[in-house]
This record gives sequence, structure tokens and C-alpha cells, in this order.
Amino acid sequence: MTNTTTTIDTATLGTTPVQPKGFTSKPSKTETRLAELKKADTPAFIGYLPYGFPNPASSLDAFRTLVDSGVDIVEIGLPYSDPVMDGPVIQEACLAALRAGEKIAGVFDAVETVANAGAVPLVMGYWNLIFHYGVLRFARDFANAGGAGLVTADLIPDEAGEWIEASDRYGLDRVFLVSPETTDERLRLVASNTRGFVYASARMGVTGERAQLDQTPERLVERTRKAGATNVCVGIGVSTPEQGATIGKYADGVIVGSALVHSVLDDPTFGKLATVASGLADGIHGARR
Amino acid sequence: MSTVLDSLVAGALADQKKREQALPFEALKDRVAHDTYQPLDAKAYLRRDDQVPVIAEIKRASPSKGHLTDIPDPGALAAEYEAGGASAISVLTEGRVFLGSFDDLDAVRASVSIPVLNKDFITTDYQVYEARLHHADLLLLIVAALDDDQLKHLLELTHELGLSALVETHTRDEIERAIAAGARIIGINARNLKDLSVDTDKYRSLAANLPEDAICVAESGIFGAIEMQDYARAGADAVLVGEGVATAHNHTQAVERLVKVGKTVKASEATPLSQHEGPYYGQYGGRYVPEALIGALDELTRVYEDAKNDPEFLKELRRLNKEYVGRPSPLTAAPRFSERVSKAVGAPVRVLLKREDLNHTGAHKINNALGQALLVKRMGKHRVIAETGAGQHGVATATVCALLGLKCRIYMGQVDARRQALNVARMRLLGAEVVEVTTGDRILKDAINEALRDWVTNVDDTHYLLGTVAGPHPFPQIVRDFQKVIGEELRDQIKDYGIEYPDAICACVGGGSNAIGVMNAFLDDPRVNLYGYEAGGDGPESGKHAIRLTDGTGELGVFQGAKSYLLEDAEGQTLSTYSISAGLDYASVGPEHAWLKDIGRVNYSYATDQEAMNAFKDLCETEGIIPAIESSHALAGCYKAAADLIKRGYENPVIVVNISGRGDKDVATAGKWFGYLTDEQSKALEANGAHGTTTSDKD
Repeated sequence: MTNTTTTIDTATLGTTPVQPKGFTSKPSKTETRLAELKKADTPAFIGYLPYGFPNPASSLDAFRTLVDSGVDIVEIGLPYSDPVMDGPVIQEACLAALRAGEKIAGVFDAVETVANAGAVPLVMGYWNLIFHYGVLRFARDFANAGGAGLVTADLIPDEAGEWIEASDRYGLDRVFLVSPETTDERLRLVASNTRGFVYASARMGVTGERAQLDQTPERLVERTRKAGATNVCVGIGVSTPEQGATIGKYADGVIVGSALVHSVLDDPTFGKLATVASGLADGIHGARR
Repeated sequence: MSTVLDSLVAGALADQKKREQALPFEALKDRVAHDTYQPLDAKAYLRRDDQVPVIAEIKRASPSKGHLTDIPDPGALAAEYEAGGASAISVLTEGRVFLGSFDDLDAVRASVSIPVLNKDFITTDYQVYEARLHHADLLLLIVAALDDDQLKHLLELTHELGLSALVETHTRDEIERAIAAGARIIGINARNLKDLSVDTDKYRSLAANLPEDAICVAESGIFGAIEMQDYARAGADAVLVGEGVATAHNHTQAVERLVKVGKTVKASEATPLSQHEGPYYGQYGGRYVPEALIGALDELTRVYEDAKNDPEFLKELRRLNKEYVGRPSPLTAAPRFSERVSKAVGAPVRVLLKREDLNHTGAHKINNALGQALLVKRMGKHRVIAETGAGQHGVATATVCALLGLKCRIYMGQVDARRQALNVARMRLLGAEVVEVTTGDRILKDAINEALRDWVTNVDDTHYLLGTVAGPHPFPQIVRDFQKVIGEELRDQIKDYGIEYPDAICACVGGGSNAIGVMNAFLDDPRVNLYGYEAGGDGPESGKHAIRLTDGTGELGVFQGAKSYLLEDAEGQTLSTYSISAGLDYASVGPEHAWLKDIGRVNYSYATDQEAMNAFKDLCETEGIIPAIESSHALAGCYKAAADLIKRGYENPVIVVNISGRGDKDVATAGKWFGYLTDEQSKALEANGAHGTTTSDKD
């Protein structure tokens, strides 16, 4: 993909303006970070918080707190009126954000905040929000803000044509989900359309903390790798440093959401958020030591 | 443009002269004469009923963008394109700017068995023979580079040598010249030169009124699904794609994605209206759900496909429809109601009523609930969940679960549960567990959210018995198929009245299942005018309504599994809806309705609370039938449809109104509305939860 074989002097060829190339060949930000961590034999700590919670301004501090406490990749949630993949804790936080006047245009501030703090910014959004904003427009604004990619909870690769094109044009990552019941055939489809990592659900169901995790995530991670995925991270139901340490032994990253959200619900000054996130960071980063 | 083109043509000509020195024209002709290759008929590859063929290009560079990508092995790249489903390969042989060569063409020819297009700046006979010598099947002629005589001559020579020509045009004038010269495959370059975006409107106007046998190839700016879909819908027969596939990370996958989009659009266009099967209805529908549900949706699709071709299944469904539901539901003349409508529109109108209100459980909902419950048995699942708004679908589901011994849980928004307390009691009597949903607006959409969350968690033993033609595929199709019995019966029953077909059918549209059910059998009969009426609430300006399809209130969106029209705010958040009828109080609408609106087959409008309640009373007084308030929207619509038909010159039109349900559940609401209940009585009913429409506890 280098430009060494030939140089074309477009100026001599007439007045047609220089066009952008169809697809960018920028390396994946998420994959780059995961590769660095892999080199150090460390799983990534991926932390979720909704943007705008408890309100748009202070949520930026929450994201900084997350990164300062050891989160490598931040999943910035877009609050939605009808979040079918979320349990009560995240539902409550998103509702609070909407009531506090959250606007989708503000999420790019959060993206910049996370990028400036040194972590990789992902956005997790229900598809109608992105669709309504305009898929290409969102991709452009998101890439300009330093965003890495999107986690799409209710968009499967089969429906993602528009997003695949937009993400290819702007060099953004595509994180699709798989669950323990996903067939091998579908795992291959997801893996081949993924850029960044595959998000493996630790269990069937919606987001939320669980005291016990069953055996399925490890098998699912294995099956997803076999289906062609380079990176597989595990989330949904992961809430303690111990669970993070267990999953971090075999997964490329551990995703925690509700436990972090819960700590902000308990303590809106983010003191508890810092403690909980640091504890999780120790557990996850120390998984293989 | 012309400066670029002139210099490209001049360069190509100079290069050709050089090649001619090595191989004189006569020698070239002689070699072609002894060549045994049989060129492929490109036209057969470039127009198909089942897809929009993709011509994938081996493209290293372009004048406007400079170097794009190295292609060390063009044969291998072409093979990857072919594996992805490309219908032809385009190879640039121009070497100065596009960095192509005849070596590329030879390598591609050797590696694929689909037509190969020689793309160059062809202005001489020599170049046409060269294309033939290198076993191209198709070559490019650019109208802007040729005068009329040259174009005609080169085109004839091309055809003489057994090749096809893709004749590239940029303007309507060039298209006329191409057609006059005898072009059969016309390439249209419709790029908007200001922002370089694809301008499908420009494409549409350029491609309009082309001869039926001309194949149109859209040539510009296709990178992926977005442009492919635009062009396919604008009627392009085929597309030519360069950078979109050449610079893609995975070339095979990039072509596959484009082919898939084209197939989707073609499948939709090729099917009779009444037989569309999803996942897409035009651009609507799909499966916008978490991956965790895909297994269950696939299983349901499989089991349903199997069941609908199983005579035993169909026999059992027919038997239960007859013996348990009481089908067929009657078609009833409504002479006194007809008089009222006639008087209102000032011309004679004949109204007939399709009586779904006479079904067991009092509404059309049982048709679908029964069908799906039989599928649940077939899948071997034991637990059923469902959502309900007015309670009719919940009651129908609880009923069939009792009949078939299935465990049943019904989700109902707290607001709806309070205004339909009798139906809640009914469901509990039938052995169902009723869960009041207290999240969100606490109405139908929130009940669906909770049901979806339950399903994601318990998908292995649970079936979600969705009640309307909305949600992810295959629900819109399955529910439609179980409801279309309404229209099929009507088609036969109306003959008993000495009428061959109705001039119009009116139905109310919430999610849209009763409307689809009564209309499906008539979709392909243009003599039958179809009218759908949404819940107008307090009117479109009030902001308190559930009008998605009419008056520009709804927008295109993705909601609860499907792409359709949706009531949403400026941020894409779902808007609260309002209607006096809980059953029509939904922010989105079935995807098939969205498509039927766009293609203009169904005329959608609305009836306000006031109009619906007036029509409710009209029917009570004139025919002794108490309709559901939902169905009263169709009755109110009947007045509007009648006026429309008379205005359009119909004489004595016959209108069938689908009475989707009976109004027993609405007596308290209506009693209050018309002042037949005293305030004390009203309050007493409200206190024990039996009353109608109070939504004051809404957020």
C-alpha cells in the first residue's frame, strides 16, 4: 500500500479535484492497543460508563477518573430511551443522563477527553441513535474527535452494510457481540466483519452484576478464536476483580459496566468509582502474573 | 474534464502506435482470424432478475486520486472478485495514468471464467482487434472521446468481432448519441462533480426512458452498501466498482457485500406485493436485534418454513380456527350505517363489516396467537412470553397457552394495565402470569422492551409470541401469514353479496396486523383501494398522537428489531405516543406498512380520538354492534375513504371495514366519553382499575 511505485502529477491532468481515497488504511486503534498489551502479557481492562451520567459536564470527570484508575479502553455509552440489552442499573443511569439533558453531539467531548487521557475511546450505541444522526456523519465526527470505533449492541453484521462502509472510509473499529448460544457459522461471520475485537457475552441476558459466573466464557472465547477472531474480550455480568482475574487469564480483555455505573450511583463524587476501577484494574492486569 | 480526457486519449493512441510497430495491423487481424476463443455474451451476465451484477475493477490508480493500491498479481485479485460473486472483471490496459497493461488483461483472462472488460481509451480499429486478441469479452467506448461516425463504426466492429461494448456516457445528450449509434450496454457516470457524491437523482433522470433492451451500468462512486442500495433502487441493471473493491481489506468480502445488497433489492422488486417474505420490505424490516437472539430467530424461521409446507400443520390450524376460534368470521351488511355515511358524503355508499369481533376472545389477535402457539409446540419449547397494549393480544396468548398447556407470562405497561384492568384479570383467570412494567413510559413499547430482555435471557426454552406485524424478521411475515385469512375469507364472502370485489377496504393501523390481514389478499388487485387509519389522538399538531405514516410526523428509524417509520425526537430518542385506544398507541409501525406507504399501494391517514368516538357511537346506534375503539378508527376512516372515492368519480362504491375487535373492554371509556356514567361512577370504576384512559401517572 505504499506510494513508491509511481507518482502522478494530478495538476497536469486537468481540473478534476483531488478526491479522498475510498477506504482509509489507518491501523485499528483498538487492535494497536491490544497488541501492545499482549506483548506485555496483560489483558485489557475495558470500562463502560454512559456519557451524560450523572450529567453531561461531570461525566467527563468520570471518564478521566476511569482512565486514571487504569482503564485501557473506555466504552462510552450513548443513553437511549429503549435499551433492550441493558439491565436495571444501566437503564437507571441512562435515564438519569437523558433527564440531565444529554445530547448525542456532546459525546464527542467525551471521546476527546478519553483520547487525551490516554485511553482508547469506543462508543457503545443502540443503532437508531447513530442511524438518526447519520451513519457517515457520525463516523466523520467521531473520527475527528479521535474515536476508535463502535460497539453495536443491536446491530448484527448482516444489517451493518452502511456502518461497514462508513467505518472503512474513516478507519473506525467495529465491535460486534457474540453470546454462548451463537453458532460456529455465525461466529465466523462476526469474526470476519470485526475490526478491533469481538465482544463475547459471559452469559445469556442483559447487562448487570453477577456474583457467580459459569464456565461458558472460556469455551466461547476459544470457539470465537477458532472462528477467526484475533482479539476476544469478555463482558456482561463481570463485576469483581476476582472475576476479572479469572477471565483475564484467557481473554484479550475484560469488559466491566454495571459495577462501575453502580459505584457512581452510590457516590456521585467518583471516589468510589476510582476505588472500584483501581481494584478491577489490579485484578485484570494481574490476571496472568 | 475534456483536458484530462484529451490527454488520456492522446497518450493511449501514442502507445497503440508503438504496439502497432511491433505487430502491424494486418498481422493483428490475421491472428484474430485464426483465434478460436469464443467471447462470452456479456449481456447475459449484466442483466439478471435476481441480482444487480457487479463489474469489479482491477484498479491501481486514477487521474483524480493518484495511486490507490499495488496489485502485484491481478489474476489472483480477479479470482478473489469472482469468488465474491462478481459478474465481470474490468481490467484497465491504459498504462500512463491507470498503470494497467495487456499483461494484466492476460493474467485476469487466464484466471476467471466470467466476462472480462477491456477498459482503455479506445478510438481506433486496432484497439478493438487487440481487445479481441487478448480474449476480452467486453470493451469500453467513451462517447465523449468519439464523434458519431467513429462511435457507430467502432461499435459495429466490436459486435462483428463477437464482443460487447460498454458505452460510457455522462449526459443525456451522450446517452442519446449512444442509443442512436446502436449501443446495448450503456454506462452512466452520475457523479456530482461538486462534492463527488453519488447523485442518484441525477442517475435516475439520466437513465429515464431508455429503451427496454438497453442495459444500464452505474459507473461512479460506489464504495459499499450505501451507494449500491441507492443505485439498485434507482433501477441500475449493473454496477461497475473500482476502488470500493480494489482498496478493500478483504476483496472477496467487499464484492460479496455488494452482491448481497443487490440481491436484497431485486428480491423485493421481483415478488408480487402479497407474497413478500422478509426480512426486507423495500428498505424496511430486517433484524436489528442483539446477536443473542439470532439463533432463536433463525430457528423460528426454519420451523415456520417447515410448518407452512406441512399439510398436517395447516390442517390442525384450520381445524382449530373453525372449531375453537369460530372462523370464518362473518361479513355483515351494514345498511343503516351505510345510510349515515352516504348522508355525510352526499352520495350513496354501501358498507360491509368484516366481523373479527365475533372471534373467540373478541378480536383478530387470536388468529396469530393460535398459529404461533402451534409453532411453539413444534419447536418443543414450553414457555411463552408476550407483550400487550390493550390486553387483547395478552388475552389471546393466555387463551391459546391454556388450550395447549404452555407456561405463559404477559408483559404489560403499568399505565395500560390500569386502563385495562378487566383484561389483566382475564389473563390471570386463564392461568397467565401478568407482569406490570414500570420502566420508561409504562406503555406498550416498554412492555416489548421487557419481553425482549426476558427473551435474551431465557431464549433456549422460551418463545416470544409477538402480537403484531412489527419486530425483527420473521415476525412481520409470520404474523401477516396467520392474519391473512381475514382477507382471503372476505374475497370469497363478498361474492355472496353479488359483488366481485370491494372498491375499498378500511382498517386501523397500530402495529398493523389486522390491516395487513384484511389487505394482503387484495394487494395485487389494483381495483381495490386500500385505506389504513392511524391513531390521531388529539391531532397531528397537538404532539399527542400515534401518527407515524401520515403528515410527515414519523421519520425513518430503527426500533425494536425493524427499520420502519418511527416517532422520535431530534436526538433519535423514541417519542411518547398517545391515543384513546391502547391498541394503537405505539411509536413505530410494521415494516410492510412502511413499504406499502412508500410504493403508494395503501393510502394512510388518521382518525382523531373525537372522530373515532363519533364513529363508535354511529355503529352502536345504527347496527347494534359495539366495536373496539381501535376498530372505530377504521369506521371513522370509512367516512374519509367514502368521500375520497366519490371525489374520484366512483358511483355506489362498496367499502369493507375491518371490525378488528369488539368494544366490551371499552365500555367504561366510552361511557365516560359520552357522559353515560356519572362522575362518581367513573371514579368508582377508576378506583377499582376498570376504567379507561387516564394516563396522568405517565412521566
